Amino acid sequence: MTIVAEGSTGTNENRGGPIGLLLVALPVFLVCWLVIWPIISAVMRTLWLTSETGEKRFSTETYQFFFSDPYSLSNLSLTLWTTCVCALLLLLVCLPIALYLRFSTSKVAAYVQGLAIFPMFVPSIILSFAFIRVLGPNGTVDLLLNAASLPKMRSPYLTPWGPVIGLVWDNIPLTVLILLAGLGSVSNQAIEAARDVGAGKLAVLWHIILPRIVNSILVAISFAVLGIFSAFTLPYILGPAAPELIGPFMQRTFRDLYDPINAITQAVITFGFCIVFGLFYVRSVAKNRAP
Amino acid sequence: MKRRDFMLAAGATAGVFMMPRMSFGAEGIIDWYTSSDQNIMDFWTNVVKPKFEAANPGITINLVDGGDNAGLQSIAERALAALGSDADPQADFFEGFDARQPVGAIDEGLWVNFEEAGLSNYSKINPLALDIPQNMPYRGSQVLLAYDTTKLDPANAPKTWDDLIAWIKANPGQFIYNRPNKGGSGLNFVRRSVLEANGRDISKFTVDNATPENTEAMLPGAWEILNDIAPSLFDGGAYTSGNTQSLQLLGQSAVTMIPAWSDQALSAIEQGVLPETTGLVQLQDLGLPGGFSRLTINTNGVNNAAAMKLADFVLSEEIQSAVLTELGGFPGVSWEHVDPALRERFADIIPSSIPVFPSGDWERAISDGWYRTVAPNVDPNS
Repeated sequence: MTIVAEGSTGTNENRGGPIGLLLVALPVFLVCWLVIWPIISAVMRTLWLTSETGEKRFSTETYQFFFSDPYSLSNLSLTLWTTCVCALLLLLVCLPIALYLRFSTSKVAAYVQGLAIFPMFVPSIILSFAFIRVLGPNGTVDLLLNAASLPKMRSPYLTPWGPVIGLVWDNIPLTVLILLAGLGSVSNQAIEAARDVGAGKLAVLWHIILPRIVNSILVAISFAVLGIFSAFTLPYILGPAAPELIGPFMQRTFRDLYDPINAITQAVITFGFCIVFGLFYVRSVAKNRAP
Repeated sequence: MKRRDFMLAAGATAGVFMMPRMSFGAEGIIDWYTSSDQNIMDFWTNVVKPKFEAANPGITINLVDGGDNAGLQSIAERALAALGSDADPQADFFEGFDARQPVGAIDEGLWVNFEEAGLSNYSKINPLALDIPQNMPYRGSQVLLAYDTTKLDPANAPKTWDDLIAWIKANPGQFIYNRPNKGGSGLNFVRRSVLEANGRDISKFTVDNATPENTEAMLPGAWEILNDIAPSLFDGGAYTSGNTQSLQLLGQSAVTMIPAWSDQALSAIEQGVLPETTGLVQLQDLGLPGGFSRLTINTNGVNNAAAMKLADFVLSEEIQSAVLTELGGFPGVSWEHVDPALRERFADIIPSSIPVFPSGDWERAISDGWYRTVAPNVDPNS
């Protein structure tokens, strides 16, 4: 018995040893090669410009252009607006669903969960055209309103709300799953104990549940924001022509205007915003791991 | 077979299909790329490919949707880079492309000169359609106006640009066109406004005169026209993101009129995507631009000989008649080389002239200028 116990402690102490490092070497190498290096190369290419004579020189002119060009700035501000509104709506929609799924014991909960995960299996291009059919002008909703002798609604298609609705729908599954995982750490005993001393439903939510899932909320929001910030298909098909979200704007600059340097500049700026949310995620993961 | 065995076998088969395929240009498989819409892809998949492969055993066509012009351009750039080396460009055939791109490719000998290639059907091509000998026209289509005859009497449909503008303003919210970089119907509507602002003179625009001075002098007039009608468009100035989405809005009766490709509108009516009550009209003072779609073939493809055979096959009476009946386009060959019965039936769309606007740098200038001034409704002089 003693030997076995010693053996197992031995393995634990070896966790940081060479074999462990070898195991993570491949993913680390891939991340460096396919993610870190392109980022460095993009930053270098936009800061050390090649002039027509082939000389390299340091210049921030592409960034100056971006931040002094009203068109680019309005695209950026629309992207930030869309991201914030989507994140807020996602939280408002997904938290109740996750709470229901965590605490409900009825059979209906399984169907609700299935329904909440469903958007994950719908490709966004199909979602977009279905959206035009349903919420677009004279779409299904308008037909239903008309059947009930109500006036037509103002369609969100081709307005900034089009991509917002599409993106929120598309991101529900991931957000619900992450929140649900977080709610798993809230023990029934803690809630019962709180109820025993007379806490109401809101007090339980505020003082017992929310403090325990704050990390999950941060992770869910960072994941959603990272996806939404650079979304392409939904804003491209459902959004207005101008201002455009940064995803379609980058693609258009690159492919239709044949302007790779400005497209890369836009990508670096996008990356700068996304890294903030990436750091949130890394911080909360690191906090969970700390002994 | 037991369920478990079946699952294992199915998984293994799926795995094999998902393995990245080695993409070397293979002998006997023509690597074919298109910049066109789905209806053209369908035409090649359902009509040209089976007929050609039946007539030429041992040769198959690998049909690839290259997206848009920019997509084909990058494939053509790959072919140009491979020129003169042993590298395999993995491309044999370009549908809906212009040999003037990439710049300098013709001088370096990237594109086959069809005039000298000795195709048996080359002499049948409609002289109206001929461009440079590296571009081989094989089908034509033109942007026209598609409208809902239940809301607009065909007798009152606009026949001139001024009529059209007056109609749009008199019927706010009933017209929409797509963003000019996302589909030819909107692009050619925008180009028509550029022509209107420049005395309807197409000769002012050539593939190599899109200099900054020219674009600054010649485009703002069009932006003024388009900004002027913007508040009268659907939703006070909305623009769809493609030809298909415009058709969808017309089909849903959300708008009364859109610019549309003749072939796409005709096949949409045939398939019931657009109702039978859809009317088509072309402006008489100067038509909306359109053109002949052209094939280009790179000289360094592995299957160059087979690709040339395919080009000749496309000009045969069989395929050219199918362009009319299956595609709703018009043939690239002169009308005497089409079945007389068909000639009779389609007499109305036989064009006498089609304004053809140059692509390349003008397209880029139009796209950038439109996004900066028309889409956000900004005064071009401010």
